[in-house]
Amino acid sequence: MKRRLFIASSLSAALAGCSAIGTRLNDSRFRDVLTSVEALNHALLDTHGLAKEYAESDIDRMFRVNGFDTPMDPAYVALMKGNYGAFHLTVDGAVERPQRFSLAQLRSMPLQTNITRHDCVEGWSAIGKFRGVRLSDVLDVVRPRAEARYVVFHCMDRSPEGLPYYESLDLHQARHPQTLLVLDLNDKPLDADHGAPLRLRVPTQLGYKSAKWVARIEVVASFATIFSGHGGYWEDQGYEWYAGI
Amino acid sequence: MAQRSVVYRHSIATRLTHWAFFLAFLALISSGLQIFNAAPYLDASDKSNPAQRVLSIDSTDAHQGITTIFGHRFNTTGFLGYTDDGMGGRTDRAFPGWLTIPSYQALADGRRWHLFFAWIMVISGVLYVIVGVLRGDLRELILRRSDLPKLWPMQLYYLRLRKEPPPHGKYNPLQKLAYTTVLFILAPLIVLTGLALSPSFDAAFHPITVVFGGRQLARLWHFVIMLLLILFFATHLVLVATTGVINHLRSMITGWYRLGAHDGTGI
Repeated sequence: MKRRLFIASSLSAALAGCSAIGTRLNDSRFRDVLTSVEALNHALLDTHGLAKEYAESDIDRMFRVNGFDTPMDPAYVALMKGNYGAFHLTVDGAVERPQRFSLAQLRSMPLQTNITRHDCVEGWSAIGKFRGVRLSDVLDVVRPRAEARYVVFHCMDRSPEGLPYYESLDLHQARHPQTLLVLDLNDKPLDADHGAPLRLRVPTQLGYKSAKWVARIEVVASFATIFSGHGGYWEDQGYEWYAGI
Repeated sequence: MAQRSVVYRHSIATRLTHWAFFLAFLALISSGLQIFNAAPYLDASDKSNPAQRVLSIDSTDAHQGITTIFGHRFNTTGFLGYTDDGMGGRTDRAFPGWLTIPSYQALADGRRWHLFFAWIMVISGVLYVIVGVLRGDLRELILRRSDLPKLWPMQLYYLRLRKEPPPHGKYNPLQKLAYTTVLFILAPLIVLTGLALSPSFDAAFHPITVVFGGRQLARLWHFVIMLLLILFFATHLVLVATTGVINHLRSMITGWYRLGAHDGTGI
């Protein structure tokens, strides 16, 4: 039918034209205009309230593995073979008392558990039971100095190009009561594929914030000089630093 | 060219917000399909659950594009699943490059476009309504109780089963139904279902995510409402095209509309 053909062809022409123009604009300075709304979204939505906590029966026992490959370098393999006994978390930067924490020290701190939904930027979600130390409690031990604004997480995994994974939160997000340094997933110590021995968990933001294989936490006034300066590996690839939306 | 038959129909504010809304709509569809491609399936559940999968767009090892809707498999090779990679070739990809922004696979860029044009759509939609209220135009556009008995006669007229349309004002009852649904039901819902995908929005306004049945279901509703908006857009295009396309376009660009036998055919 002629009319149907007309609708289909007008719609596809409009969308195809939109795609072609959009692609050219995307590769131009127009992209800076697009990125401008991130600050607005951050200001409006920020981090308020608590992520919903689920029941035991909602847990995905085979929690989906995503992100970079599990580290295979000799240092990590040695750690893994020693059941992470030699692992230390270094917390330094703009803090009054830089410190190294062994796993035993972390486990002796008050442990929190939350069953929360992990929301991936790709669109899928999975529910896990996360147990660990509140990041806020660790910050209380090292005491951020007055100039401190961000907490940067340096990880042991690397992109296929060899760039290390890293992430960052501002102090408000870092102090959120559900932001954990996770030791156990689904009642078992983290396994290598899920970020052993220590990962971050930020249920109020998209999954790429929840960095795995965290080895060092650096408190800074600004992350502008760290790697490409956008506050995280994926942020350096164009993703939003404010991953609440 | 009788001057008395030309009326000033759309204010400058109405015209600007109309076209801004239209541009944002196209950009949101294309960038939304780009985002969909990163997880090309929709589940009727809170967390992802293959047992409650309503739609998936996959490819086989033999480079066949397979679209599965409620368990029914369709071979959609070339259009969905195994299709245009946006760079002159073909690849495993749900929606084709000619439908997405950017045309090549780039989730980060698709999100930047989507979150930016979501604001353009919201701002132009809200301004459109405010201007309509201030100028009084909106009153003529909103479906009223008195329009309800006229809906079916109007449908009969469109189906050519009735010679004359029921008496109506500037907009007929079916137009009012369509505009009222889009402006006051579908547009707010597409914004809310989109926000329900956001973990920070979910933490701050959890009951809204619950209303939609959880994050993955909100993603499904977001997609379904997009299809309904496309249906409205298609109908809108047909009616514009068949009732004096030049006259309509001119009135939405310059504001001036020529009244005539069939609202300006042949102009």
